[in-house]
Amino acid sequence: MEKAMEIIINGLSTGAIYALLALGFVLIFKSTGILNFAQGELCMVGAFFCYTFATLLGLPYVAAFLIAIILGGLLGAVIDFLFFRRLVGEPIFSTIMVTVGLASVITSGAGLIWGHDVYSITAPFTDKTFVLGGVVLGRGALYTIGISILLFIVFVLFFNRSLLGVSMRGTSEDPHTAGLMGINVKKIHMLAWAIGSAVAVVAGIFLADQSFVRLPMSHTGIKAMSAAILGGMDSIKGAIVGGAIIGLVEGFAANYLSGMVVGGFHFGDVKDVTAFSIMILVLMIKPHGIFGKEKVERV
Amino acid sequence: MGDKFQTSYKADMALFQTLWVKVWLGIFAASLIVCPYFLSQYQLGILNEISIAVIGALGLNLLIGYTGQISLGHGAFVAIGAYTTALTSAYWGLPFVVTLPLSGVMAALLGMIVGVPALRLKGLYLALGTLAFGFIVEYVLFHWDLIQGDMGMAVKRISIGGYEIRTERDHFYCLTAFAVLATLCSKNIIRSKIGRSFIAIRDRDIAAEAMGIPLAKYKVMAFGVSSFYAGIAGGLLAHYQKWIVPGSFDLSLSVTYIAMIVLGGLGTILGSVLGAVLITSIPHGIVYTTDLVKDTYPVLGSLIVDLKVGIFGLIVVLALLFEPQGLAGIYRRVKLYWKTWPFRY
Repeated sequence: MEKAMEIIINGLSTGAIYALLALGFVLIFKSTGILNFAQGELCMVGAFFCYTFATLLGLPYVAAFLIAIILGGLLGAVIDFLFFRRLVGEPIFSTIMVTVGLASVITSGAGLIWGHDVYSITAPFTDKTFVLGGVVLGRGALYTIGISILLFIVFVLFFNRSLLGVSMRGTSEDPHTAGLMGINVKKIHMLAWAIGSAVAVVAGIFLADQSFVRLPMSHTGIKAMSAAILGGMDSIKGAIVGGAIIGLVEGFAANYLSGMVVGGFHFGDVKDVTAFSIMILVLMIKPHGIFGKEKVERV
Repeated sequence: MGDKFQTSYKADMALFQTLWVKVWLGIFAASLIVCPYFLSQYQLGILNEISIAVIGALGLNLLIGYTGQISLGHGAFVAIGAYTTALTSAYWGLPFVVTLPLSGVMAALLGMIVGVPALRLKGLYLALGTLAFGFIVEYVLFHWDLIQGDMGMAVKRISIGGYEIRTERDHFYCLTAFAVLATLCSKNIIRSKIGRSFIAIRDRDIAAEAMGIPLAKYKVMAFGVSSFYAGIAGGLLAHYQKWIVPGSFDLSLSVTYIAMIVLGGLGTILGSVLGAVLITSIPHGIVYTTDLVKDTYPVLGSLIVDLKVGIFGLIVVLALLFEPQGLAGIYRRVKLYWKTWPFRY
């Protein structure tokens, strides 16, 4: 029972990171219609920003955290300004491949700047624990889960109550009409990229707390894509639920499947592949996810 | 071929349309035959890599460029071909003439299995599905005892009818022959009913279906043919490298193949070849230039890996932003410009 409890809490804290990353996917996809394959790379760069300010420059953790988020947002806005502003209305292959190419460019840039070593950030909650129902848990996990729930509430309110949020939803539904109604579509797209990247940076910093700051961190982004698919690409609620489910299933699979040998096949590192198996299942059964809206194509 | 006027169906369907094309191809073929006598082993090695890349790129262009089905898992099919070759030749001792077609067929079978769910998926969902498939294949390769996981597998040399191919020059003739064969096959597929159906599906699948093209059949066929090419490329790669490891068939291989067809030109045979040539030579060019300036900037040597990844990404991004038709598009434009030179129209 205690073991199950531990798996659940740890699974949820991994799931919270997936949820944050998936939230970034959804935010950008909802308003620009672009699936950003470079989300994981943005998350990695965010962690490196935080590392640079907190560890290298010795700023207080909270200051470094905030600066990293602002820089991440700026980076997102610059990416939109340089690349995706020209790609509005282009075929989906172009937009996907530009983000894939961008992912390689960001990885190589980060490799050139920060190198291929493994770093860590010392956060105020690093190595601190708390006890819940007889299970000892890291405090970082608690913060991650808490922040992602908070962000979820903030974004739901933002999209339903604020003028900006409503105009973002309008832009996603029909950019052309939104433009006619006096919404600055370019500004909305840029804002979506900025917010999406800033959320990715938050995910990256929490991920750095759970593991390390290093280049392969960006793989988490691709795994988080299955969270976004599971929940539905255009649903904020879906991103959170999808992230939690993926995190939980991954935790249980890693605990109960790892080490099994079936007919000469070793089930090691099941964590690497659980998310992708779920993604394929979802795509085969219900491609639009749990909360996603199915789009009817008109001829 | 909109800019040519033909007077008979036979002329319109001809593989090589004009005399000039035939002459240039003849010169090209002749230079391919004699070039091994002038080039170094290293340069021949690059050409051999290019030949294998050409086969893979042709296959991917049939799927993405002609049929419009996005695939981010082409590397997985190359891997399946490579490992089929390695397994069948190592464990069953089958000869090359059997293992190579078998690798193609194996990859094609799996490609068609991926193609079936792809019938429901479009655009980015298809991209994600193939991406996930690529990761799962990579995972299986790492964790299956039969193929020794990340230890890798040794592969025998190619031997055809008792003659074993050993030198780079022999490899060059063999691999180039396969690349030429693959190019001719692609050209034939495209000018046939199958190719026209592919193009119709790319341009608008609903309209294609309304015109009586069975979507399911041709989409699955596109996946099958494309994977068959990838499998053949993988089989040849395994024989040529003589040692395969699962790590070399990851997402970056798929991205490299996509970079080839995007840079070369989507939906053109010429583009697949040009893209394969350029993308394969670029890393060698980077190594060459860093070697030249190594003495003045010794730091550069350690940055090659990062630079290579970044430059591929940048090529894809810039090509899509500024020249979506790729090199084949530039070639067409330049040709058109000189045709009416010095007049604009």
